[in-house]
Amino acid sequence: MTPHSGRQGWFVRRVVHGISGWVTLLTYLFMLLPIVVLIAFAFNAGKSTVVWTGFSFKWFEKVVSNRNILDALQVSLIVALASAAVSTAIGSVAAVAITRRSFPGRDVLGAALAAPLVLPEIVLGVALLVFMSFAGMILGYTTLIIGHVLVSIPFATLIVRAAASSLDPRLENAAADLGANEWQTFRMVTLPQLMPAIFTAFILSATLSFDNLVMSTFTSGVGTTTLPLRIYSMLKLGITPEINALGALMVLANVTILLLVMGRYLPLMLKTNRR
Amino acid sequence: MSPSLEEPSRPKAVVELKGVEKRFAAFTALRRMDLTIREGEFFTLLGPSGCGKTTTLRLIAGFDLPSEGQILIAGQDVSNIPAHLRPVHTVFQNYALFPHMTVLDNVAFPLTVRRIGRAERLERARAALDLVQMGSFAARKPSQLSGGQQQRVALARALVNEPRVLLLDEPLGALDLKLRKEMQAELKAMQRRLGITFVFVTHDQEEALSMSDRIALMKSGEIVQLDTPTGLYDRPANAYVADFIGETNMIPARVISQEGDVTLVEAMGTRLRVSGNHGHVAGAEVQMAIRPERVSDDMRETENSAEGVLADVEFIGTDLRMVYRMTDGSRVVMRQQNSGRAVPQLGETRRLGFRQQDLRLFGR
Repeated sequence: MTPHSGRQGWFVRRVVHGISGWVTLLTYLFMLLPIVVLIAFAFNAGKSTVVWTGFSFKWFEKVVSNRNILDALQVSLIVALASAAVSTAIGSVAAVAITRRSFPGRDVLGAALAAPLVLPEIVLGVALLVFMSFAGMILGYTTLIIGHVLVSIPFATLIVRAAASSLDPRLENAAADLGANEWQTFRMVTLPQLMPAIFTAFILSATLSFDNLVMSTFTSGVGTTTLPLRIYSMLKLGITPEINALGALMVLANVTILLLVMGRYLPLMLKTNRR
Repeated sequence: MSPSLEEPSRPKAVVELKGVEKRFAAFTALRRMDLTIREGEFFTLLGPSGCGKTTTLRLIAGFDLPSEGQILIAGQDVSNIPAHLRPVHTVFQNYALFPHMTVLDNVAFPLTVRRIGRAERLERARAALDLVQMGSFAARKPSQLSGGQQQRVALARALVNEPRVLLLDEPLGALDLKLRKEMQAELKAMQRRLGITFVFVTHDQEEALSMSDRIALMKSGEIVQLDTPTGLYDRPANAYVADFIGETNMIPARVISQEGDVTLVEAMGTRLRVSGNHGHVAGAEVQMAIRPERVSDDMRETENSAEGVLADVEFIGTDLRMVYRMTDGSRVVMRQQNSGRAVPQLGETRRLGFRQQDLRLFGR
């Protein structure tokens, strides 16, 4: 390479480096700025979400004393935890069976569990509503939970499947060799190694359920309005910083969960995978 | 394999394979194998990769079931008994320690699954760890140990429940040479002390020779020769065995005649006497085998001699390894102890002696 082209290369590198820095910055701004603005206006003293008039905690006070919001939060939490538990349980068992056993219909089961991932959620929702009214079910917690399980089960299954397929089958051989029956092998060797993935699947399923709007629209009944549904109906009455305050609290909750998961389980997952 | 080597009155059989065959789709890994492993012996399955030695081990352990035939452990037919109910434990090449358990919990595992009380379980696990000198590592996780240490833990785990038979699948394969030598000596000593039957799988003939009571040398799914280490080395059944175990000179030869218990052959441009009636007809082209350390330049005790030109000398420290080119062009390697005598000059012509009982003939 001649010195000239070397300098040219340096120039190109410099430009690319400069541009990529700006692109990164703009991407982050684009993604995070709305959230930053949302959180900032949660502390606005005035009734506007655009014009700043002073600092105040009053919208937070309003949120935590709003009966409707608290009820909706309770519904959302119950549905999130219940549907995540069901999704994770079914997903984990299915994942282990699919990766570890061979049985007739294995591929069909795998495809069926991943299908909701590619079907439009609104189609699923309508189909489920039609089926439920046909079956004479009354819309409420049960129907909500069933709907949310349908949404989150592909994710739960995929996460545990990925972990199960990276397990060393020789360890299960070793357990059997040392006298463990199938159940003992599963409980003492397979399951503990899958725990980080199962926990991740649970958290992700709960988060998906907590955020869900489309499926909830079809499957919630009287008295089981979820938080996203409540927020959506509040928007129809006009936007106040109360929604901002609620949003800020939800962001806080999500970030806390994320940090907890990362702090506790990420190092553990990296360690088991390294071997 | 000569029948005189089997002594049925002696120690009883602990593992028996009767006409065992193992087929994987179109591939036959094991052909109609009959094998008896005796109580308390250090038994080695030796052979190149793909010879069926690991398949044999997996069949005894119960990871695979035989396509045909019977497997008996301690007199009981276990052909259809799953791995976890067989009184054998395995030490795996990759150790297969449970990464989420401490060293102590790993070693206690065979006792935990048998619902042995916590106090007894921990006490026995500690004793097993002390046996392999890993007592001070009880609280560690496997990922915090070196390969050699993991190997010891795997050994303790396989021994803690005192199995009738311990199966070892190339357990030293991943260790470096020095550690390997140490572990060989230790394993052998431990086997003698505990009196447990060891079935050891390896492709390393030196390892097999130095540790085993008996060795089954395998090739493409069959046992070629089952013998003691000295038997395999000194009385190889065929050219394959002679070539696989140790270094061997293979010299082309032609049978001239059979005179009683001596075969007369022509090789290396001269005539030689070979002990034994090998059943070859006059004029047959054969291979004549002799170990490099049995070739000598001391003519006092030898019936045969031939002339060669020294083509190469390798200094190994304890030994000198000399390559001679004989008058007919064949190569003969001679190994001599480094006794301090002057090293011969390259190009020097010397007379080499071959005792008739050290020569063996194999069909070509």
